Amino acid sequence: MSEKGKSLWSDAWRRLKKNRLAMVCLGLVAFYTLAALYGEAVYQVYKAKDQTAFYQKTDLSQAYQPPSSKHWMGTDALGRDVMQRLIQGTRIAYKVGIVTALIAIPIGVFFGCLAGYFGGRVDDFVVWLYSTVASMPGLLFILAIAMVVGKGLLGIYLGIGLTTWVGLCRLIRGEVIKHKEQAYVMAAKALGLSWPRILFRHILPNVFHVIIVTFTLRFPAAVSTEVFMSFLGIGVVSEPSWGVMINSARMRLWQGVWWEMTFVTLAIFGLVLAFNLLGDALRDALDPRLRTEGS
Amino acid sequence: MNELLQVENVSVRYGALEAVRGVSLVLAAGETLGLVGESGCGKSSLGRAVLALEPVAAGRVMFDGNSVTALKGAALKQFRRQAQMVFQDPFGSLNPRMSVGSAIEEVLFVHGIGASRTTRRDRAAELFRDVGLDENWLGRYPHEFSGGQRQRIGIARALALEPKLLVADEPVSALDVSVQADIIQLLKRIQRARGLAYLFIGHDLAVVREMSDRIAVMFKGEIVETGTSDQVCDNPQHSYTQKLLSAVPDIDKALA
Repeated sequence: MSEKGKSLWSDAWRRLKKNRLAMVCLGLVAFYTLAALYGEAVYQVYKAKDQTAFYQKTDLSQAYQPPSSKHWMGTDALGRDVMQRLIQGTRIAYKVGIVTALIAIPIGVFFGCLAGYFGGRVDDFVVWLYSTVASMPGLLFILAIAMVVGKGLLGIYLGIGLTTWVGLCRLIRGEVIKHKEQAYVMAAKALGLSWPRILFRHILPNVFHVIIVTFTLRFPAAVSTEVFMSFLGIGVVSEPSWGVMINSARMRLWQGVWWEMTFVTLAIFGLVLAFNLLGDALRDALDPRLRTEGS
Repeated sequence: MNELLQVENVSVRYGALEAVRGVSLVLAAGETLGLVGESGCGKSSLGRAVLALEPVAAGRVMFDGNSVTALKGAALKQFRRQAQMVFQDPFGSLNPRMSVGSAIEEVLFVHGIGASRTTRRDRAAELFRDVGLDENWLGRYPHEFSGGQRQRIGIARALALEPKLLVADEPVSALDVSVQADIIQLLKRIQRARGLAYLFIGHDLAVVREMSDRIAVMFKGEIVETGTSDQVCDNPQHSYTQKLLSAVPDIDKALA
């Protein structure tokens, strides 16, 4: 019966598809995602069987094997396969990226929406709150939280998640302030819609592109923070995080054991680059101002 | 006379600026009152104050014998069903992320009109036909329509609640002249069919005269002259009205 219109989302997707570099990055992100899913599957299987996973088993007779057909990326100091550990590192990186986003995005969106829409006292409170959080050096705050809840992933999740909502909150607040003055919001009020409906069903979809772009740019930043913390020894312990791997790889680097360091840093480089370039491309594709009529 | 709307000494303030100063108006059911004035004279602020979209600093607005100035919650929602608005900007007044069909269905849903999705969809299709649009376009998004079509969508959405009063805030001034005539004809046809009252706001005296039974001329936040359309246009009393009239191009004079 009635025809389907072209939404602004499908419009943005069409523009993104035209950007070849963005599609390469999207492919790379998909590749990392598959690796992380495979890593999770392996991890869950061994956890269910209550066995030590093969990427954790030490075999000193196999230590420091250079890349070969058996071990594509060589082995580490304890004879463990670097590629399998790298895949587990991808799994941990994804967990950190996603869980911190799941903590930071709802906080940022919620406070940003309320502050922008209601203004006045509510706005004063939210601005005070995020200014207070932003005034503390981020890394110190993360370290403090990690110290309180102890080593491990929980500290990383909370540390990064509770500090990185500020940027998004600020952006959303600004966008909501801009959008609430627009005629469609006035129209919605005149039609008798309630404020939660106006805010979350009308304004939020119009500022949602900000959330997507922020997520793609925050994701690699969270991963780097995790790598850094694990490298310092206050993050992941006893699991093959990229930071843990870099830390152990640096020991024998001067003796010519180059493979572990090389492949881990390449993996990080690829992930950060792909997400950042994709984030930039998404920003261009989703920007409503760049929409051209009828093109 | 059966007064639908009574505006009594209403003032609207934005900080130190008094946009509307003690304005009084009456509007009967089924009648059209034109409100003319230059941009910034306060006519849009008055239109919004009538619909309780702008806080009233002084005076009161009576609708069907009840004050609307302090309405809240369910009572305000009930008032919204009876008094609706058509906006000047047909591009901005529709949510760009929502298909036009769901925008109309949402209004029906929120006000509890139509028991199921199908009845609401049928009602939206009916409204679309009423304003001269193809019901197959309900799934489309605002950016896929022309300015005139979007204004028709805005009118259909306002009519969804079957209001008694429609405040039309410069509904044609953003449109091409040829499209303006179509929209004016549409508004007149709707008024004949449904007997609703219009508060028609505009700056183009020729357009306002075409629409209105009576005209109020607004200048610097005050009403300087009211009367029937013919009185105001053919025999203006206030110097500002005379100035406004001299700005209307007159084809007879130009040819003479």
